[in-house]
Order: sequence, then structure tokens, then C-alpha cells
Amino acid sequence: MSGQRVDAKVVMLGKEYVGKTSLVERYVHNRFLVGPYQNTIGAAFVAKVMPVGGRTVTLGIWDTAGSERYEAMSRIYYRGAKAAIVCYDLTDSSSFQRAKFWVNELQNFEENCRIYLCGTKSDLLDDDRRKRGIDFHDVQDYADDIKAELFETSSKTGQNVDELFKKVAEDYVQFTSFQEMTEEKGVDLSQKNTPTYFYSCCHH
Amino acid sequence: MAADVHKKSGDVLNGSLFPDDGQHAERSESPTPGLAQGTEPGAGQEGAMFVHAQSYEDLTSTDNPDATLQMPGDGEDVQADQTMIEEISKDFSELSTQLTGIALDLEEEIRQSKEDKLELSPQASRRDSVLSGKEEEDVAMDAWRMHQKHVFVLSEAGKPVYSRYGSEEALSSTMGVMMALVSFVEAQENAIRSIHADGYKVVFVRRSPLVLVAVAQTRQSEQEIAQELLYIYYQILSLLTWTQLNRIFQQKQNYDLRRLLAGSERITDNLLDLMARDPSFLMGAARCLPMASGVREIVSTCLQQAKAKSLVFAILLSNNQLVSLVRKKDQFLHPIDLHLLFNLISSSSSFREGEAWTPICLPKFNSSSFFSAHISYLEQDTDLCLLLISTDREDFFTVSDCKRRFQERLKKRGVYHALLEALHTPFYSVSKVGIPYLRHFIYKSKSSGLFTSPEIEAPYITEEEKERLLGLYQYLHSRAHNSSRPLTNIYYTGSHENLLAWVTNAFELYMCFSPLGTKAAAVNAAHKLMRWIRKEEDWLFILTPQTY
Ligand SMILES: Nc1nc2c(ncn2[C@@H]2O[C@H](COP(=O)(O)OP(=O)(O)OP(=O)(O)O)[C@@H](O)[C@H]2O)c(=O)[nH]1
Ligand SMILES: [Mg+2]
Repeated sequence: MSGQRVDAKVVMLGKEYVGKTSLVERYVHNRFLVGPYQNTIGAAFVAKVMPVGGRTVTLGIWDTAGSERYEAMSRIYYRGAKAAIVCYDLTDSSSFQRAKFWVNELQNFEENCRIYLCGTKSDLLDDDRRKRGIDFHDVQDYADDIKAELFETSSKTGQNVDELFKKVAEDYVQFTSFQEMTEEKGVDLSQKNTPTYFYSCCHH
Repeated sequence: MAADVHKKSGDVLNGSLFPDDGQHAERSESPTPGLAQGTEPGAGQEGAMFVHAQSYEDLTSTDNPDATLQMPGDGEDVQADQTMIEEISKDFSELSTQLTGIALDLEEEIRQSKEDKLELSPQASRRDSVLSGKEEEDVAMDAWRMHQKHVFVLSEAGKPVYSRYGSEEALSSTMGVMMALVSFVEAQENAIRSIHADGYKVVFVRRSPLVLVAVAQTRQSEQEIAQELLYIYYQILSLLTWTQLNRIFQQKQNYDLRRLLAGSERITDNLLDLMARDPSFLMGAARCLPMASGVREIVSTCLQQAKAKSLVFAILLSNNQLVSLVRKKDQFLHPIDLHLLFNLISSSSSFREGEAWTPICLPKFNSSSFFSAHISYLEQDTDLCLLLISTDREDFFTVSDCKRRFQERLKKRGVYHALLEALHTPFYSVSKVGIPYLRHFIYKSKSSGLFTSPEIEAPYITEEEKERLLGLYQYLHSRAHNSSRPLTNIYYTGSHENLLAWVTNAFELYMCFSPLGTKAAAVNAAHKLMRWIRKEEDWLFILTPQTY
């Protein structure tokens, strides 16, 4: 994967055990690994190429460890990120508090990073609605407040996972083309096809 | 008391086994005990890769060895201390039963081990005959381990930090006992203390702001147990750094460190498991993966060529065996740091995906700051792990590119296949040596910090038997390195096997024979084995380490 150009840096943030690694695993390899929970150490990088509207985008995904131990170093993982997928476990309200912490962190230090709130393990709610740890509308209101997209996913069933990353990639494309337009500086004279309205009228 | 097990009729002490014929300056054809360091089989041709480490260096350098107490207290306080110790050891038996949660009869175990003093692990054979079925074996194995050794880490304020076996609830219910223990060790910073009672050794190592405690029924010496505790301490430092650890406790004395260590229990558990079965720790050395020297040289060159400014160490390993190591000139890795890295990698399957980039402190190199480690497997289903240690945490993509370049070079030079081939035979059979009655051996070259050892074969099949063999090596090792009376040659006869240890300032050799062999044959065999190792050193060792 290395040596390959990365278009957009995407960072996964959230409390330990919320399912960040599983989400990346589902998206990149389309699988869900059963077996004992293996917490991430530091962070893991993986790149994935996505087709978006006739072109491709390479997402460079940083799957960070949720352990507080790495909190002080987390900046190196999210610095310059175009998108942050901030995860919380739909069945664990404390993980939502932690998600808010990350949102604040991003708003303070990385204002150009778009935020995607992601409630994980939605399959657990299928069996028992009462397991939901935090009210959906509260989260929706919060998401609106911070201008974040909101997804509920299950890495176990694959529910909504591709949609989440597709949205991330599409937003990136849309945003960068918009940025290219607004960042266009003046007229490039060497470009032959540039329409030359200004030249034809007045001023000579 | 501890000293009881030591006197063994079969021990032959110093001087009688091997003649000392002075120092040889050259690499000699027929190695002898007089080999100077650097000329022994396995010694690297261009110097060492590691910091030269004596066993127990940590204990003897910073600690006063006299602080190891058989029984604390001399003079007027004897009486008081005695009672205190009795109380503590009584509490401790209760504590251990509470924590294991499995009602094996401790008294029974203890009586048994008193009767069979000379057996290293009397429980083993007894249980074999009782149990059948894999599941039962696992349970029994766990129970057996629990009885062998408990390990606790606490803060100086008495807060639990880590406990091997036993849930945290169980641990907090025994905090009272813990506090008593902590106050008992309060006295001296950096001291090792131990209590011997009821067949247990309770060993304390205090490294402010932490106290580490082991309750062991093994035959290991206090020093060896303390050494293991120090490894646990270093393991914690590798996650936090010494500086951070101290800052935290300076700010808040009763901080609950488990918050910061969450998720790392697995790494510490794995370290304790590894120490019980991997002789690397005992030897204070790294095990080399055997490999044709031509292949290894090209691999090392490829690794050396894929360099970057911020890289300090590049390590290629397979299942805790060293394939190649490149280091920055003038920078040496300490074997303890290398073991911690090996342990980290073997304790987690999470490195199999993608590329990990994690802060890590190498406490023996520098305990106050983090390196950044790039950890990845060359291919997902091979057991070849590449570890690149960088000084710059912003340098991920550069370091990642080193990996790519290394892989490209390997393929271009056509050694990738040969490398994978070598992974299929990570061990050689002892029969290759062609010495009758020889079952197993460990040979360490002191100047290179590397050791070689054949596969452990029958009769050491079960995990218990394997650990028993390691226990025997441990016993000989501790006798050979006894700080008050170190020994050069030891011959040990037991009912299941005979062992020979030969320790000089250039090498250490431990051999295990069937009980049918004789001492004279064993001495001959040692010389023969040394010649064999000399002849085969090319593929057994890394003779030409590379630097940046
Ligand atoms: N039922 C269910 N379990 C899940 C789902 N996603 C993750 N899990 C489980 O939750 C546990 C934690 O998942 P991880 O993906 O390792 O969590 P993480 O956020 O990467 O954790 P850290 O690396 O420690 O930060 C594992 O046991 C997973 O099997 C899901 O969608 N449904
Ligand atoms: Mg993870």
C-alpha cells in the first residue's frame, strides 16, 4: 500500500472497543473477524482506492487506538485529515461522551476536517431495541449542531458500512473540485483554450 | 527455606571438568574453555549488535545484592519481623486461593513438593496420570501455572495496577493484604526482598512509583524471579515511559494506572507466558533463525540499503527468532528492549493488517522518550515481521517506503523465495549433531548476544515437560551465576535426565542428556558439540551484522 499516492486522509476516532478496526476491516476486506478482541496498538494505516463518479479516490485510513494511553499523541494521526469518522457504540452511552470529546478536539485543531458521526454495532439493536444506549434524536440534534453526517452501521452484517465510506469519498471529491474552483487564481495566459472575453472588449 | 533444594549429590563443582588452557587470541579451530570473548563460535565478525548485557545486570548494578533477604531482620527486631512474616505468608496462602478461584489443595501440593524435593515439578507426572481430555488439560494447566507463579503490580499507594490470573474484583477484595505487603517493602527503594515460607517464595521489587510482587512455587532463585518482575516493569515503561509514569504519580499519588494501561494486559500476560517457555529471557540473548549464510547476507544488505534518515534499527523476525538486524552506527540495542519488541509483536494479531505506527519506549535505550515503530508483516500469511524503529513520529510515509524498497530489493535479488523457505525449518533436530544421549542444548555466544538451540523433542512433548526442561536450565543458570559463588562447570544428575552447564566469559553452554549417559561422556560431548557449532556457525548465527 505504501508508495501509493493518497488523496484523502481519513481518521477513525472513538473510545476503545467501539468497533473502529472492525469497521475498517469490513470496508477494506469485506469481512468481520470473530475471535477475541484485539485492541489496536498505536494506529494502523491502510489505503483503499474508491471509484467515485468516473474517477478514483485513494483514501488513506488511519485506524487509531481508542486507549487513553495514546491520547496525547493522537494529533499526529488526525493532523491534515480531510475526514474523521468519529465512532461510538450504539449500546454504550459513555462511548458517546467520548465521541463528543473527539469532536471538540477536531473543532479546535482541525477545522477543515469534515466529521462523520458513526453509531456502531447496530445489529445488537436488532435483537433488542432497549439496548440502545443513547436516544437517536439527541444524537441527530447533536450532529446537526456540529454539521456532521450521521450513520448507524454494523460491521457484523455490513449494514451501511459502504454507504459511510462512499459518502466520505464523494464529499471529498465534491469538496476538492469546489475548492479548485474557488482557488483558481486569475487567468492563465499560456492556456490556449481559455476564453478571452476581457481582451476583446475595451482597455486597449 | 530456599536453600534446601540446592544440595544435590550429582553436582560437580568448579574446576574439575575442564582444563583451563589460557586465552586464545585467534578464532580457533577447536574451541576450548579458554576462548577469549569475540573468538567463540557465533561471535560476529564486525562486533556486536547489542549492548553487552550480563545476566542480572539490572539487579546488581542498581541494587545492593545484599538486600535479598532470606529472612528479614537481624538483631533486636528479629522477633517482631518473624511474626510479621508468618502473618503475611498465612495471608498470602489465603490470597492465592481466593485469586485462583480453583480449589486445589495447597497444603497437599506443598507436602508433595517437600517429599519429592529433588523433582523440579512433582505435580506434572501426578496430573498426567489423572487427567485426560484436552479441555481438562487446559484447565489443569492453568491451575498448575497459577500455582507456579502469581504476579501483581501495585502503585506505592497500594492501588492495583496489574494482576496475573484473577479478576480485578478478587484483587480489590484482598487489598488489605496488599497494603500490608507494600508497607513491608516500604523500607528501601530499589531493593529486592523476598520471603520464603510454606514452599513459596514471595519476591518484591520496588521501582518507584510501582511495587512488583511475585508469589512463586518454582525453583527459580530470587534473582531470577526479580528479573522477571523487572521485565514486567520495563514492559510498563515501554508503554508509558519512565518520565510519564513518574509525572503521573507526582501529580496524583493514588492515580489508577489501569486507566492508562487498559488493553495492555494481554501484552503483559504474553510476556509472562513467554518467559516461562522461551529461553531467550534466561539467556539475555536473541535466538537466531537458522538460515544459509548467503541468503541471510543478501537479506541483510537489502535491509541495510532501504534506509532513511530517521531509522535507528531495522529488525526482521519470525516467531520470536531473529532473521536480521541493522542498526545505526554507534547505536546498540539492549537485549531487554529487543525482547520487549518481540513480545509486543507476538502478543497481538492486530499487526497482521495494514501497517502499524505506534509510539514505543525502549526503556534500556532511553526511558524518557518514545520512538515510533513501524510494524508490518511482509505478507499477510507469512510469519515474517518487519520492525522499523524511527526517531521521527512524523516520518510514517518515509519509513513505510523503506519497507516497500526492502521488499522490492528482496525480489530483485531473488532471495525472497529462499527466505520463505528458511521459515519452513525454523528449528533443526538435535540428531543433526550426532551425539548419542544428547537430547537438547542451548549455546550462547556472549559477544554477539545470540544463542542457538535445537528443537525440543521427545520426551519433552507437553507444555509442562517443556517448561520443566526450561526449569532445569534455569536452575543450572542460577547456580552458574550465583553472585556469591559463581560456577564454571556444573554436572547435574537427575532421575529423568542429566545436565551439564559450562559457562565462560565467552560463551554459555547448557546440555541435556538422557539419564543413561555418564559424566565422562558428557564432557566429551561438550567438546564435540563446540566443534560442531564452530563448523556450522555460518547458518546458526548472524556473523556479519550490518549498520547504517
Ligand atoms: N455485534 C457486533 N460486534 C462488533 C461490531 N463491530 C465490532 N464489534 C466487536 O466489538 C469489539 C471491538 O471491536 P474493535 O473493532 O476491535 O474495536 P476498536 O474500536 O478498534 O478498539 P480499539 O482498537 O481498542 O480502539 C470486538 O469484539 C468486535 O468483534 C458490530 O458491528 N457488531
Ligand atoms: Mg482497533
